[in-house]
This record gives sequence, structure tokens and C-alpha cells, in this order.
Amino acid sequence: MTRHVSRRETLAAVGLAAASAGCLGRARNIVGRDRPSQLTLEINAIPADADPNGIRIARHLAEHLGAVGVDARINTLELTALQRKVFVNHDFDVYVGQFGETKPFDPDALYALTHSRFVAEAGWQNPFGFTDLDVDELLTRQREATDGREEVVADLQRRLCDLQPFSVVAFPDAVTAVRDDRFEGWSSRYPLSLGGLLGLSAVAPDESPESDTGGDNATDSDDDALGEDLRRNETTDESATGVDIDLPDGTDDGDTDDGDTLTLVTTDGRITENWNPIAVEYRRHGTFSSMLYDKLAVADGETTIPWLAADWVWVDDETIEVELRDATWHDGEPVTAADVAFTYEFLRDTSLGETETAVPSPTFRGRSTVVEGTSVVDDATVRLAVGDANRAVGERALRVPILPEAIWRERTDVATIAGMELDTETTEAVVTNNRDPVGSGPLRFVEATAEESVVFERNPDHFLVRGAIDVGETDDGSTAPDAQSGSTDDLVDDLLDGIPKRYHGKPAFDRLVVRVAPSDVSAVQAIADGLADATVSNLGPDAVPRIGRSPDARLVSGRSASFSHVGYNTRRAPLSNPRFRGVLASLLDKALLAEEAFDGYATPATSPLAASPEWVPPDLEWRGDEDPVHPFIGEDGSFDADAAQTALRDAGYRFDEEGRLLAEDP
Amino acid sequence: MSPLVSVVLSILGSVGLMLLVASVAIVGPGRLYDIAGELRPRLWNARRELVVLAAVLVASAVGRGALQTVSELFGLRLTGLIWALEGNFVGWLQASFASPALTVYFSWVYVYGYVFLLTFPFVAYLALPETSTLRRLLVAYALNYAIGLVLYTVVFAHGPRNLDVGTSLLFTHNPDVMALTSKVNERTNVFPSLHTSLSVTVGTFAVLTRRTYPVWTPIAVWLAASVVVATMYLGIHWLIDVIGGIVLALGCVALAYRIVDADRPDTGAAGDDAIE
Repeated sequence: MTRHVSRRETLAAVGLAAASAGCLGRARNIVGRDRPSQLTLEINAIPADADPNGIRIARHLAEHLGAVGVDARINTLELTALQRKVFVNHDFDVYVGQFGETKPFDPDALYALTHSRFVAEAGWQNPFGFTDLDVDELLTRQREATDGREEVVADLQRRLCDLQPFSVVAFPDAVTAVRDDRFEGWSSRYPLSLGGLLGLSAVAPDESPESDTGGDNATDSDDDALGEDLRRNETTDESATGVDIDLPDGTDDGDTDDGDTLTLVTTDGRITENWNPIAVEYRRHGTFSSMLYDKLAVADGETTIPWLAADWVWVDDETIEVELRDATWHDGEPVTAADVAFTYEFLRDTSLGETETAVPSPTFRGRSTVVEGTSVVDDATVRLAVGDANRAVGERALRVPILPEAIWRERTDVATIAGMELDTETTEAVVTNNRDPVGSGPLRFVEATAEESVVFERNPDHFLVRGAIDVGETDDGSTAPDAQSGSTDDLVDDLLDGIPKRYHGKPAFDRLVVRVAPSDVSAVQAIADGLADATVSNLGPDAVPRIGRSPDARLVSGRSASFSHVGYNTRRAPLSNPRFRGVLASLLDKALLAEEAFDGYATPATSPLAASPEWVPPDLEWRGDEDPVHPFIGEDGSFDADAAQTALRDAGYRFDEEGRLLAEDP
Repeated sequence: MSPLVSVVLSILGSVGLMLLVASVAIVGPGRLYDIAGELRPRLWNARRELVVLAAVLVASAVGRGALQTVSELFGLRLTGLIWALEGNFVGWLQASFASPALTVYFSWVYVYGYVFLLTFPFVAYLALPETSTLRRLLVAYALNYAIGLVLYTVVFAHGPRNLDVGTSLLFTHNPDVMALTSKVNERTNVFPSLHTSLSVTVGTFAVLTRRTYPVWTPIAVWLAASVVVATMYLGIHWLIDVIGGIVLALGCVALAYRIVDADRPDTGAAGDDAIE
């Protein structure tokens, strides 16, 4: 009945019909109807060299889509191109990706991800084009609720799991290969976060002849070894400078014997080209950005600790007053309250009102919408108006990178290529590579070779260093922890108040070199060969066993909150239909994917908040091997294509006689 | 020593040794001795072809990055289409035949055997009194690279290992090699397989000159066939890349014979008629 007829046959039929008078009207009625064709879906993913896990999810989905009669095409593209396509141009059907946050996050992260007010904006904010009034309402309520926020957040998750603007697949473990001979204290949870890298301490060079006298009583505890660390760093600082002059190209060869250089390898070369903290196509988790640009507050374990802010107080229910530490930008200018006020205004509109419609920053969007206004009290004090936001949401808004006004105010013009305005929707600030970034963070930019390496150095003017030097001077070399806290409380209060001791005087390295490796396997090889200290990017099943085989490398893994997911462009039919997306979600055998695509280094999940289990209601918890909302159609890894087609038929979709799923519009 | 340097040194060392042995055994001491005196006029005779090849290689080295960006922005994204057409052929090939010994063999062929295969004909044809074969080879190489570069720019596709169709046996077996391949190649340059096209080019020349170098012909054909299989066995290229490479090779050899005329009818440029 619905046999496909070629165009020529159709024309012949029309000719015949026209010839036989009277049938013309009927022929028009038939030919005038659009004939449905097979549904095509493009699945965007990054190649296995860059992310060995994501491509496996893409293939799994493509194979199951093929089995239900969808023409699924995998499109591999580099991460920058993928993020540009998905976040900026919204020109995609389906993508496989990872969420940007690595540490368990507050439910308010879902605000930027799914609120319909962001559908037209470029960036991590609602790339799905998802619009649901109930979700909007719940998102607003969880921001304002103080009592009963759990219930609102639970309802929000239920609604999102039901509607599936994206399908959470699993929470992968961040698997990292490290070696301990130069630096120790690799945190097992987030070794490559700001806190993880700052928490490292240099291994005392016991074997080396110039080992200083303090070396033998240095202990494993960072706190106890503080004095030693400092003196060691002070002396080696100078020797390292000497070495730099001797070996200006020390980044190009394999010589990383210098114990004060921390070398990381990554398969993601973007940090060698772009240092713009708000350039969404170039950032994954923002680890290096957070070392260049201080935030007012940072997450540390379960709590938020003051960072560039010395402290903050809630003046009333709608206002936070932030007191800044004494800090300077990398160019020597002081960090002032005006910079903070500027940053929040700038993140809301990077054109600062110069364009007709605001050009908001493509990152930190959820946080920047919390702060409705700012007022500078004095050079070191600024007040943030946060409206009805509750405490958790208000304090989350403190975690944005503070930018120097003097530099970024120059970047508010509409972006141009050779003087031509191609797109009035973006500003110079969003597209600049931010060469020679000037931040206030514990690291300063030194040099970079595109797609090869980038070198940062320790910022000696950072409050972590200056604060600890003050302690060291009055400490007179004695390292007893009680002596420190007894005699130097005042100084510590000035500069390091509220900062855990393990960060005092850090980083423990003078230079941080990030090298680009062509694949996860060669990244692990670089660790085994002693050419680097840790891997940064995802490691796949081919790379992980190599860690065990090399005696000096060690595997560190911890649960990441950066969930792997399949995102749908809900602007496009049939992905606009939540029933269709629900069936797509049940094409994913999450338990199998966690086991095989991630080699067991992942936990399947339903809710995007599964990394913070306290927020997940019992009915959304992953139980056994089954997704509680959209269970996999099939059993024990074998997919039941007939059942999936039945589910699609029940949802109103049609198939031709060859079992191909027909698109609604051709 | 960085992985790159050690790989390059190891290639230079072993390929140099292979060239030495093959030159003596295949070309023969007599012809080699002739080269010494005739080197200058023969190279001068082939100067235009040498310049063309050098120009293509330099253009490829300099322009590759920029063309890669063009390819990324405007190229045809064909990974999905290629996979839809040929499916998991490469994965099947690996699953059916992969063994540690074969992996060692094909890894060796892909890196060392390939470099030897491409460099030896240069010595062998330089040892011939007439330079037309040498000049045709140079032109064929230049055409392979030039057309390959254009196709690389037009087609943006990742190889099977990047789609997790099969595993990357070469790099898993010998990750240091990747330091070299990532320097000389972009991972989205898969169609056509230049490893295939250049190897098949050399193999075709070896068949066409079988009367001059009868010993070389089976060696070259064997090595070329091994490289062709290696590209797929190691998970680097799709079957379609290989077919594209073979078509490119045959086209380039035919074009080279058309562009460069034979020196004199009397010299032993055997098999000229095979193509024309």
C-alpha cells in the first residue's frame, strides 16, 4: 500500500491521470501530499583518540536506532567543533557529551541547563532548546525555597527524567595515571581539580646529593611539612630560574627531571591555544582556567570556602557583602571591588549594553543570573543583590572567575573578522583566545606552542604564597604545627583566613607544563616513561591496563559528577516529542555501557544529580540493573527491536513495510 | 630521549640498513658503481620532477594545518557515511585474524616496511641509465600527495579506530609510533589512504619494470600488499579508504606515464606498453 514510488513513476501516473479527464483532481490530492521518508538522525561525538568512552555510547545508540529503522549516522568531530555545533549553533540532532562540572554540584546547576529562558542563548545553557513550563516553575522554586527545597528538587528530577531533554547514561570515574616520584598527595577523588593540584606536595629529593637538612624529617603530612616546603620552594625557586636560562626550550624535549616542574599530559590540546575562561567551545571542566582566574569562593569537599573573597556576610535576605583579600592581577595591578562588580555585569552582557540585545557569557550563566545587581562599598568590599535566591544558590553564585575590568572592558565590541561584522550576536570577549591571560590565580601563563604544550608558572604574589611566607618568616624554621598556629595566627588571619592548611604556600611546583599526547595510550606511556606526572583527559579500556603494567605509574580514580549523557535537540521533530525521546532513552542499555564502554569505571544513573545522592528521591535511584524511569528494552544486553518498534507505534510513529521509521516531514 | 626522536632514529637506522642490503642484492654492485659517476647528470635530468615533488611535499607540510582547519569548517563529514556503507569490516578483520605475531609483523610493515618501500625505488631507478622511470616515479609520488591533500581537505572523516570499530593495534602495540604519526598526519586525514596509494604506486612500478628488476617485483608486491592490509588490520583506515587509495595509485601511475615520455625506445624501460 505505502510502497515507495519513484519520481518517474509518479510523473507517468500523473500523465495518465491527466490524460483521463476527471481524474485530475484526485491525482492532485494524492501527489500534493508530502510522502514520508525514512527518519535520519545524526549522532555527534568526538573521536576515540580524544574520548574513548563517548564514541562507544554513540555506536551503541546508532546500532539500536538502526535496528528500529532509523537511519542513524555518526558524525565524529573534534571537541571544539562539537561544542561549537551544539552550544553555539544549535545545529545538531543528537550529541554524546559530558557535563562540565566534575565535583558534585548544587541542583541549581540544572537551572542554566534546562530553563526555557535560555533557549536562544549560546553556551552550556539549555543547548537542547527544551521548554516546559512546569520545569521552569520548579527551577525557580528551588532557587527560592529554603524549607522543603528537597521536595522541589525531587519533583524537578522526576519531571526531567520523564521528559528526557537529555538522557543521563552514567557517571564515569575520573581515571588518572599518576606517578609519585616527584609529587605526592594525589587526591583520590579529584586529582586534577584546582584543589587536587594545589594539594600536591613535592617529594623531598632524598636521593639527590643537594638534599637539604630538613628533608629527613619531612613527613607525609602536608601540614607538618609546611615550613620545609616553603624553604625548599624558596631556595629552589632561584635554582629553577637559573635552569630556565640554561634551558629555555625545556618544554620541547623530554627532560623533565627538574623536580619542581609538574608535567601533565592531555589528549585535549585546546589549553595550548585558548585561555578564555568564558569561551565555551574551548573549556571542558575549566581546571586550568580556575588556576589562572581566582573565584570569590571555591568548592572544597562538601563545603564552599572563601578564596579571592576573604569572607562574606548576608547583610539581609537579598544581599551578600563580600570582603576581598589583598590580591593583585598578574600584571601587578590591585584586584578591587570594582573588578568584581564589573565581572557580574559583564557575564550578564558581554557587550555591556552596546548591542541591541544582551550577549550573555556562554558559561557561568546560571550563576550570573542569580546576581541581579552589584554595588561597590569600598575598594575591597562589594555587595551582591541576589533577589530571592536561598543561601546555597546565592553562595554558588560566588563561584565565577573574577576578570580584570581594565582588560575585558576593551573586549565588549561586536566580534569582527578583518573589520567585518559577521554576527552581531557575539562580542570580542566571547571569541578572543585571550592570549597572555591576566588573572589573579595561583598560576601565571608563561608560553605555549599550539597543539603541543603550554607552560604556567607559580604566581609568587598570590595570597596562598604570600600568606604562607609571612608565616614562614615568623616561624624561624621551626616546623612544629602548634608553634605555627600559636605565634602566627594574626598573619594567617590576614591573608589565609578560611583556607584549609593543605593549600598554604601552594602550589608546590614552580612550573606546570601541560603537554598534548595524541591518544590516551600514549598519554599513559608518557607517565610510564617518566616524561610526565599525571594524565588529564579520559582514559579508555586500552589505556587503563597499561597503568598496571608499568611499575612507576599508579591508577587514581574517583567518581566524577561530570555525567555522560546523550543530548537531544528538542527544537527538531521528532526529538521535540517527549514520548519519542523516552523511547530513545530506553534504547540505551546503561548497565551494559557502564560495564563495556567504560570498562566498569562508571556507574549507570537516571538522574543528573546522582553524584549528590542526598538530592535523589528513592524512586529515581538506580536499582539493580534497571533504569527506574525508562528501562532498557531488552534483556541481558540483547536489544529487543520489535518491542522498541511497538513502543514507537504506540507513540504514534509509523513504519514502512521494510520496517523503516518514517519521518513526519520529508 | 623523547619518543619522537627515538622512533625517527630507529627508522633511519633500520631503513638505512635495509636500503644498503637491498641495493647490493637487487640493484647489483655494477649498477651501483655507475651511479657514482652518473649521479649528477641523472639528477639534473630529473630536476623538474624533483622540484615538483619537493614543492608538493613542502606545500603539504606547510599548508596542512591551514587546510585541516578548512576541512574541519567546510569539509564533507563522511565518517558516518563510510561506516554506514562498509559497517564493521575492519573490526571483523581484526576479530578474525588478529594475533600477536601478525600485529608485530603489520606494525613493522606499516612503519619500517613502508618507508623502505618508498625509498628503495628511488635508488633502484636512479641506477638505471635512462631516467624516465625515475621521473615517472617522482611525478607519480607528487600526484599522489597533491591529489591526496585535496581529498583530505574535501573529506573530513575519522578512521575506524576513532569510531571504536576495531582497536588501534599499532598504537596500543607501540605507542611511541604515534608521536611520529601525529606529527606527519592529521587524524582526520583518512580518505584516501596514502599509505595504500603510495605502496600500490611502487608495486605497480615494480610490475612494470619487472624485466629490469625481476627480484624486486615480488618483494615490492608482497610489501605493498602487506602495507595495504596493515592499514586496515591496525585499525587506521577503512576499506573504502584503501579502495580509494588503490584507485588513486593506478590513476597517478597512468598519469605519470602520460606526462613523462620515455627517453629512447631502445632502453630497457620494460613494460611501457602496459599502461599506455
